[in-house]
Amino acid sequence: MNPSNLLSVALRFLAKLYPASKRWLHRFHGGVFPQYYKSLSATQPIRKAFIPEKLILPLEQPVGLPAETLVKVGERVKKNQLLAQASKDPQKALIVPVHAPTSGTVMAIQPMTLPHPSGLQDQCIVLQPDGLDEAIVNALEVDGSHPGSPEALKSTLLHAGIVGMGGAGFPTYAKIPNQRGKIHTLLINGAECEPFITCDDLLMQTRAQEIVQGALITAHALGASKIICGIETNKPEAIRAMQEAASNTPVEIRSVETVYPMGGQKQLTLELTGVEMPHKAHAVDLGLLMMNVATYAAIYRAVVHGEPLTSRLVTVSGLGLNKPFNIHALIGTPFSALAELAEPKVTLDYPLVMGGPMMGFQVQNNDVPVIKTTNCILANPPEPVAMQMPCIRCGECMQACPVNLLPQQMYWHTQAHEYDKVEKLNVFDCIECGCCSYVCPSHIPLVQYYRHAKSEIKAMHAEEKATELAKQRHEFKLARIEREKREREARLKAKKEAVKKEALAEESPSAKKPEATAKSAAEAARAAAAKRAAAQKQSQKSDDSNNPPIPPARLKAIEAAKKAAAQKAQQKNEESSASSKVNREPPKSEQDEKKPDAKSAAKAAAMKAAQKRTQAKKQASTESASEVTSAKKDARQRAIEAAKKRAAAKKAELQPMAEMETEQACSDSAFPQQADVKDNTTAATELTETTTSTPASEKETARRAAIKAAKEAVAKRKAASPSKTEQTENTATPKPDEDKRKKAIEAARNRAAQKRNAANESQQGDK
Amino acid sequence: MIEAVLIFLGLALLFGILLGYASVRFKVEGNPMADQIDKVLPQTQCGQCGYPGCRPYAEALANGEAEVNLCIPGGNEVMIEISEITGLEQKPMAEGAAEPKPKEVAFIDEDLCIGCVLCIKECPVDAILGATKQMHTVIEKECTGCEKCVPVCPVDCIEMRPVEVTTKNWKWPEPQTIQEGK
Amino acid sequence: MNRSMLSSSPYAHNNQNVRKVMMQVQIAAFPALMAHIYLFGFGIVIQWMLAVATFIVVEYSMLKLRGRPVWPFMSDLSALITVTGLVFCIPPEAPWWVVVSGSAFALIFGKHLYGGLGYNPFNPAMLGYAFLLISFPVQMTQWTMPLDITGSTLGLIESAQIIFNGAAHTHTMDMFTGATPLGELKTSLTQGVTALETLNREPYGLLFGLSAWAWINLAFLLGGLWMVLSGVISWQFPVAFLGALAGMAFIFHQVDPTLYPPVSFVLLSGGTMLAAFFIITDPVTASTTPRGKLVYACGIGILVYVIRNWGAFPDGIAFAILLMNIAVPLIDQYTQPRVFGHKLKG
Ligand code: SF4
Ligand code: SF4
Ligand code: SF4
Ligand code: SF4
Repeated sequence: MNPSNLLSVALRFLAKLYPASKRWLHRFHGGVFPQYYKSLSATQPIRKAFIPEKLILPLEQPVGLPAETLVKVGERVKKNQLLAQASKDPQKALIVPVHAPTSGTVMAIQPMTLPHPSGLQDQCIVLQPDGLDEAIVNALEVDGSHPGSPEALKSTLLHAGIVGMGGAGFPTYAKIPNQRGKIHTLLINGAECEPFITCDDLLMQTRAQEIVQGALITAHALGASKIICGIETNKPEAIRAMQEAASNTPVEIRSVETVYPMGGQKQLTLELTGVEMPHKAHAVDLGLLMMNVATYAAIYRAVVHGEPLTSRLVTVSGLGLNKPFNIHALIGTPFSALAELAEPKVTLDYPLVMGGPMMGFQVQNNDVPVIKTTNCILANPPEPVAMQMPCIRCGECMQACPVNLLPQQMYWHTQAHEYDKVEKLNVFDCIECGCCSYVCPSHIPLVQYYRHAKSEIKAMHAEEKATELAKQRHEFKLARIEREKREREARLKAKKEAVKKEALAEESPSAKKPEATAKSAAEAARAAAAKRAAAQKQSQKSDDSNNPPIPPARLKAIEAAKKAAAQKAQQKNEESSASSKVNREPPKSEQDEKKPDAKSAAKAAAMKAAQKRTQAKKQASTESASEVTSAKKDARQRAIEAAKKRAAAKKAELQPMAEMETEQACSDSAFPQQADVKDNTTAATELTETTTSTPASEKETARRAAIKAAKEAVAKRKAASPSKTEQTENTATPKPDEDKRKKAIEAARNRAAQKRNAANESQQGDK
Repeated sequence: MIEAVLIFLGLALLFGILLGYASVRFKVEGNPMADQIDKVLPQTQCGQCGYPGCRPYAEALANGEAEVNLCIPGGNEVMIEISEITGLEQKPMAEGAAEPKPKEVAFIDEDLCIGCVLCIKECPVDAILGATKQMHTVIEKECTGCEKCVPVCPVDCIEMRPVEVTTKNWKWPEPQTIQEGK
Repeated sequence: MNRSMLSSSPYAHNNQNVRKVMMQVQIAAFPALMAHIYLFGFGIVIQWMLAVATFIVVEYSMLKLRGRPVWPFMSDLSALITVTGLVFCIPPEAPWWVVVSGSAFALIFGKHLYGGLGYNPFNPAMLGYAFLLISFPVQMTQWTMPLDITGSTLGLIESAQIIFNGAAHTHTMDMFTGATPLGELKTSLTQGVTALETLNREPYGLLFGLSAWAWINLAFLLGGLWMVLSGVISWQFPVAFLGALAGMAFIFHQVDPTLYPPVSFVLLSGGTMLAAFFIITDPVTASTTPRGKLVYACGIGILVYVIRNWGAFPDGIAFAILLMNIAVPLIDQYTQPRVFGHKLKG
């Protein structure tokens, strides 16, 4: 007798005296010893297969994205026929195909309640079996040979639709690494530690060969050298059967202590190999791969017989049933159909539980289907729930926790909604085994608190990410707008420059004729063009910040520009008034008359105009700002109005005359732009008032209005700028009694006209 | 007597020096206040605070030009965080704006959309896809729910819809304590 | 929303609940109660009944005032443990108002004002005891002489008379009360009598080789061991507490046997065993982590010894426990167990 045996015997003896010492018999911390009730179903033979009236096959699976259907309603399908598969790269989508469990007709593809704690609905294929059970033999088209590489095995597993059948339902193919030899030890999980559940037990008793062969196939493909199977001591029959099947193979069958949760992946790994899986690490990285016995059996059937996974052994048990049993149930069989077979003691008006009593969940609808991870359907009549008391800090939960967490502290923080602290206490290491709730003398539903905390924390992180993303995208957008603005400005500047240059080039031959000032004027004009561009930028800035004083440089530039422009105009008028194009506004006679002192007059006018403009800008901006706020009242009308305005502006762009102006307006900051456009679209505004409420007619009216408004705007603008002189006269005599709004509009209009005039002049210069 | 006074004075001096040293030595070299505030803001960019976005609001707060209770989507939680960062006094949210609603995302009725691109311009995070004269759609994942695009649409085809609950984003409800109440 | 919509696994439970735990503690105190009655007379029974009456009245009115469901919280019996612990600390023949005010104080200030069961930072029984010690030092230190000294104990009627009237017609207070051995030791040490001399002095008669106080302590030990075995209390508390106390006693007794009593006396006198198994194990106010429990109990052990030998009070259990209660959050913080798969921190 070796010392460890001696020790365990001694401990077992001690356990009679001090029950807690049972916990020293296994390697992981804590654990509980619930009442197992396994004999309820384990003593019954496996019931013969049964085809229900309908099968429900969810497209969404516990992990990954939903699958895409390949069949249509009304189509007849055969057993093992492919019904749905991943639309994307399956490696990414993490889902497996859905196969028909029996032959029949597709009745519907509709949302049905899922076997999920939320009770949410999702798309399911509803199949009406015809009872013939006509099958496609070797649906996966395998030749029965054992795959020699992980890739080959993975592809078979993918097409067979095999997922982890012990619990989480993670697609098996995705679990297997691609490199051969990465896995050195293959582990078989036959612990089945949950009370009531006996399906793995019976599977091991009846299909030990298949399990062992499945493990050998996997080990062969992956190049694993060791295979260890752990079975709890409370299944002696299964241990015997497995040992028999494993004789003369490298598979080692080991019995492990009966303690809940021995079947937990990390717990059993520790027990069998002594390796404590580090936090966040995957077993695969350590060269270990653990799968459930049922998964191995499914692998065997897929690889050797080409059978996709369409049925599984399910335990139907519970204290509310007269004849609990195990059955090879077709995937998609409604729970209620199976439970009825077991002769419930009272009508099943209480929710059935999928899974065991420790980790299962109540389904929201007893008609939910068996899925690939359904190991047990439990019908336990509801018991009076003991009242939840405050935590007395007894620490029982902590002693029971197999992960050595601090359940009570996590509970306090969850209750206080301090989820960040809960996360610090490693709530994500919690395997939701339920040991803590099981022992809590205060009957606190601890696990539900952790589940709640986990989903809250996950949502919190998702939100954080979304927030970060939103910020980035917003900043990106701002940067983009900024860049576009700069580009537009640069384009505008370049255009102006080009125009100026051309004008100069044309002017130079005639430059000999005029007086001595001509040369200096040309120079001033060139300088002014450059300065104006700069000034414009500056003016934008001063608009934004409402800086009242105009920088002297800017004033000078404007002045110089005006001077030059006036001179140019004069020259043109003098020399080639006859040759002026038709589309140009007719020159005014006053200008001709005032020829001798036109220069000084223009200068003065320009000065005034510039002053006026800044004033107007200020007013316009403040006013439109106040208008914006007041307009919030009827946001909708306002919105439509804005749409109209912008539409008008856009339409105006079509007019060559207005092109310059619009661009300028766009590059201007938002407020002056609004003021600019405002007067153009007063008509449009009036029109909007009459819009009807139906969206269609609204659309129609909107379009019509936009066109009309644009036309009107152009006309108005044309009218507003007959000539420079008129404009200067207008501005020279401001009407103080007029209300602010009108003034602002007027000023804005003036400015626009002025701008256009300047542009016109330079254009005119080309001609 | 005199010794006692001296000792106390000495102690006071010593602790004063210690505290002063500690405050210099362990000073938190935090990022500028605006960055910190920007971090806690919801980044919905909805402008309900009266600033064009979260960042400008954060900057205004850092300069002490804004109230702490303006961010409506952030609600009280954010208000408290802001007041913690800025050291300004907490203020209740303006009434009527207090309850931040569950997150919604914009949805464009593509049959009605006339492709005017107005919403694209408005969207602070470029979550709307589309081009002139074509119908537009919202990238649900990127929509912050700021509702800015709703009023600009000339044909009113944008509406806010709550985010759909699926098994992937479903949350376990918090257990209900029976002990309170009855 | 119906209940099943919200419930989550596990759907099984080991059927333990707070009431059962408290009942087990109460049962474990039974041997000590018996010994107490045998050695000190029926005074304790009257005291206990007084305390229970106080507990019922106080709990009822406090729960009503706090708007909590009365029956579930009263039936958790945690208050019963509190008053039971307190009763064992009060002289059996103390006036009735001592125990009543002590119990009321313990429950109201020790528990309800903090938010009820589970939320109190200080051990309520010890809070009540400390309150009584400070408020009524005379009444609290006059212990009834045990059987081995007086040769007889008071009957039920006589005890009741003394408790309610201050004196029975047959006895006066002074005739049957005196200081506890611990108190005696303290007084004599100040008078220059050595510890050994005091302990070997005649009045401390023996009962099967052990003094009455030792017997009481042994009775507590018996009940305590049963609780440890049945898993009601953690072994860490008594082991660390008694270990620390014995260690201190051993060291100092070796250093100077004339000044410091031997280990056996330290462990079996005063409320040592009561504290070890019944008081410091109160889960609400103790540390919860396994290592934390050791630290907590050790701290109490050391403090008890320090207060007994160098402090102003003959028995320092109450103050030692209250002091360590303050340190519990800190202890818990630094003794978190290593989570599965995580590296040991720091
Ligand atoms: S449910 Fe989580 S916290 Fe509770 S015992 Fe299991 S692993 Fe520990
Ligand atoms: S078992 Fe329950 S009462 Fe005890 S510490 Fe844990 S949560 Fe608190
Ligand atoms: S109100 Fe909107 S824009 Fe302002 S800070 Fe809050 S989320 Fe950002
Ligand atoms: S604002 Fe409305 S109509 Fe215009 S593109 Fe957006 S959704 Fe379409």
